[in-house]
Amino acid sequence: MSTMSSEKNFPAQTVKQTSSSQPTLNSLAKAATIPSELIFQIFKYVTSTTDLKSCILVCKSWCRCGVEQLWHKPVFTSNQSLFKLLFTLSRSSQTFPYSFLIRRLNFSFLGENITDQILSRLSSCERLERLTLGGCRRITDTGLLRLLEKADGLIALDVSDIENLTDAVLDLVGERCRRLQGLNVNSCKKVTDKGIMAVASRCRSLRRIKLSSCENITDESVVVLAKNCPHLLELDLTNCNQITNGAIQPVFKHCTQLRDFRLAYCTNLTDDSFIKTMPSIFEQLRVLDLTSCALVTDQAIHKIVHSAPKLRNLVLAKCGNITDEGVYHITRLGRHLHYLHLGHCSRITDHSITHLARHCTRLRYLDMACCTQLTDASVFELSHLPKLRRIGLVKCALVTDQAIYALIENRVAAYTLERVHLSYCVNLTIPAISELVNFCGRLTHLSLTGVPAFLRPEIQRYCRLPPKEFTPHQRQVFCVFSGKGVKELKNYLSGLIHRCRVTGVVNNNDDDRVVQPEMTGSADVDDSVASEAEAETEGVGEEGGAGEYDNSRGPRNIRHMGHDESPDGEDGDVGNVLLDLLRM
Amino acid sequence: MSTNASNSENKKVTLKSCDDVEFKVDIPVASRSILLKNMIEDVGETDQSIPLPNVNEKVLKKVLEWCEHHVNDPQPTNDDDDSRRRNTEIDDWDQRFLNVEQDMLFEIILAANYLDIKPLLDIGCKTVANMIKGKSPEEIRSTFNIVNDFTPEEEEQIRKENEWAEDR
Repeated sequence: MSTMSSEKNFPAQTVKQTSSSQPTLNSLAKAATIPSELIFQIFKYVTSTTDLKSCILVCKSWCRCGVEQLWHKPVFTSNQSLFKLLFTLSRSSQTFPYSFLIRRLNFSFLGENITDQILSRLSSCERLERLTLGGCRRITDTGLLRLLEKADGLIALDVSDIENLTDAVLDLVGERCRRLQGLNVNSCKKVTDKGIMAVASRCRSLRRIKLSSCENITDESVVVLAKNCPHLLELDLTNCNQITNGAIQPVFKHCTQLRDFRLAYCTNLTDDSFIKTMPSIFEQLRVLDLTSCALVTDQAIHKIVHSAPKLRNLVLAKCGNITDEGVYHITRLGRHLHYLHLGHCSRITDHSITHLARHCTRLRYLDMACCTQLTDASVFELSHLPKLRRIGLVKCALVTDQAIYALIENRVAAYTLERVHLSYCVNLTIPAISELVNFCGRLTHLSLTGVPAFLRPEIQRYCRLPPKEFTPHQRQVFCVFSGKGVKELKNYLSGLIHRCRVTGVVNNNDDDRVVQPEMTGSADVDDSVASEAEAETEGVGEEGGAGEYDNSRGPRNIRHMGHDESPDGEDGDVGNVLLDLLRM
Repeated sequence: MSTNASNSENKKVTLKSCDDVEFKVDIPVASRSILLKNMIEDVGETDQSIPLPNVNEKVLKKVLEWCEHHVNDPQPTNDDDDSRRRNTEIDDWDQRFLNVEQDMLFEIILAANYLDIKPLLDIGCKTVANMIKGKSPEEIRSTFNIVNDFTPEEEEQIRKENEWAEDR
């Protein structure tokens, strides 16, 4: 309270104090006389900052409570408001010791506007508990070292994407922040084992650590983490490609509370990581990401599902060795499984997917991109899943309109589906998709990139803009609808179908869903579609090539990989799915 | 003050307000108050009345009316703290229940706090928060009959120091 300097002793009880909880009720209980702990309670429901600012000007006792709440977790929508706050902190005479009231700071919205100088001006915030600086790329060790100098009480630190950050900051964190529970250093490329070990050896209450794309990290720091931090709940080693089987064994041995384990692109890992080292019971594990751990086989899956029978999210994208046998093992997870990614597991067939659909009935998310052997039979089964929200069938080229009709007809998935990925399912036609968008009221994302029937200006005008880095060819075949675009597509297609009915261009009388709209009014429609389809096949070929290139180059740049690989920004695109996961 | 008359659950406890009025209450109803629940558990069965020196007859009657209506609600857990905070809605019955004179509203809040009845405390606080919505400091003062004890200089300084805060 040293910075406090005001006449009349006004802010005497700022930093949280519990007032007498036994007020007498015989006199009139006016708002002004109720104890401050109840004013706090009331202010918790004053959600608008404007209202809260009015409250602090009502009277002194309201002011103390309101100010504490206002400064607890300042939110900045603009640079301007941040600078006003810094100005308050720099005043020589402050009504309250404001810097002590700040417990949480989140600058991820201001990103590159944040500088070392700004951080230095906040170094008086000694009671900081949570600091989020993700994406503040301009800051360096200098600013961070100043800010963290006295931050003994820090509980969570997010410095992701600050590429300048070095081990020096982590050394200080290890030195000062012994209560640290969460650390996110994703994409801090300069961080090495030295920094991680400094944190791991001293911050023993660590619960969550994210080291994604810290490429210098080796088994050494993971071993120290595992041995020193028995409370770890979450460990993210995505794209730490020096990691080997040697790092995994101690994690399974010591981190008995681990719930979330991400090993995507740890390409050295083999079955040994699991078969030999995973305990027979590792029941608390809920999330396991093995994207591109291409050496892993069905045997590892067998071990994993026996050891962790309550797995909720399992990502096996680009684990090319996985076969139907692996998927059969996965079905043991039954209703525990909510999220399964099998993209590029191209050996998988309808047999195992059928089995999956019948056993894992709580599936919410299922991606089968590039599982090229799958047919309508798989989708028929999946259409019965009562909670299915996302289905990914990119490049499952054998899938036809019948699969789409099944999704609608069962009236189960139709109520839950939110995101449907159908890019390069080249056989799909307008009537089927029109039904899909009509019946799936919750649909917010639909991708049809490279589906010939939809590559027309009058349809593509409703799709979102292709990413900037796309080539002209990629732009040409890009066809992804999201949010408002889905609604616009729906209206356009129903209008189209309606016009076709009115003009009698219906070629199947017993089922009026199968409407063949006359797109160009010419008898050559089929031919033109066919030729477009051919052009697309080329496109797919090209993409396969891009994919291989990608693999050989290694997953260095996850963020852009999806785009290199597929003209469809989202689908069959492990990179972006991964990004989604990282943000979770 | 009786709910269903199943014989085993029909055990009662006697509460005494600060103005010496006794209420015979079903134990499940009284147990909406964590304070009373713990007391009853500690003391076991007793014919003695439990004195509540901080609650008068009028307020206690009102609070017990709420407890009886909500006797079958699930006990709140600490986990819902955040979700309750975000939700500023109050159900219809509770809204009508809290449609009382302002002093009574604050007395209910104080009693709910003393008796440790979280859900009642929450809706009471929400009701007051809703009365604050959209008002200027002066309007808030007159709504709640609060005296402005700032000097003009103090008020101006507070205003300046907190100018940074903007609506999200």
